[in-house]
Amino acid sequence: MTKKNAASTTYTGEKLEISNNIRTLRFFANEMTQQQLAEKAGASRQTIIAVEAGKYSPSLELAFKIADAFGVPITDVFEYRRADEPVEQVEQEK
Amino acid sequence: MSYQEKKTVVTMITGALLLAAYCIYAFGQVQAGLAAADNLTFWAGTILVFIGISIVVNIIIQIVFHILMAVSYGIKQRKETGDCDEASLNRHFRTETTEDEMDKMISLKSSRVAFVCAGIGFGVGLAMILFGAAAATLINAVYIGFSLGAIAEGIAQLRFYRKGV
Repeated sequence: MTKKNAASTTYTGEKLEISNNIRTLRFFANEMTQQQLAEKAGASRQTIIAVEAGKYSPSLELAFKIADAFGVPITDVFEYRRADEPVEQVEQEK
Repeated sequence: MSYQEKKTVVTMITGALLLAAYCIYAFGQVQAGLAAADNLTFWAGTILVFIGISIVVNIIIQIVFHILMAVSYGIKQRKETGDCDEASLNRHFRTETTEDEMDKMISLKSSRVAFVCAGIGFGVGLAMILFGAAAATLINAVYIGFSLGAIAEGIAQLRFYRKGV
C-alpha cells in the first residue's frame, strides 16, 4: 500500500483525515511536474506542494480543478476517513 | 524558499529596519534635548512622517526585490539551459506570483496575529498611562505595537507556509 499524505480537519465535531493521490497521479501523467499541475489548476506551485504534502486542504473548487487536470473524478484524487478509523476498513468499504 | 516566503522575509526585514530607524530618530531627538518627551505635536508629526516613509520605502523595496528576482531567475535559467527568453520569464513569474486561495487564507490567519499585537500595544499604552506615564507613551505604544504586529504577521505567515494551514 502506498503511503498517502493526509491533512486533518474537523467537521461536525468529528476529526477527519483527508489524504490524496496527487503524487501517484502525477507519476502516471508522464511524471507531470508540480509547476505544470499548478498551471493547469490555476494555483501557485506552493499551494500544490502544500496540498500534495497534506499540509493544506484545498477548497472544493481547487480540488475539482486538480482532478480535472488529471482527467479523473475527484474521488480518485482525494479520500477521507475518520481519524480513529483504520485504513484497512476504508479500503474494504470501497 | 518560495516567492511568497521571500516576499514575506523582505517585508519583515523592511519593517524591522523602519521601526529601528524610528526609535533611533525619535528617541534620539528627545535624548538630545531637541524635542520634549511630552510634546504630542512632535510625536504625532514624527509618526506621520514615518508612516509616509514606510509606504514609499516598501514600494521601492518591492520593486527592487522583483527586479532582483527576475535577474536571479534569468541567471539560473542561463546556467541550466543556456538560454532565457522573455516568454519563459513571464510564465515563471505568472505562476510564482499567483495569489491563490491558500495565500489568502494564510494572509487572513496571520493578520489576526497582527491585530492581536496592535491590541496588546494599545492595552500596554493605556496601562502605562494609568500608572502615570506621559500621554506620548500611548502614541508610541500603539505605533510600536502596529510595527511589531507587522513583523509578527510575517513570522506567522512563514510558519503557515512551512507547517501548513
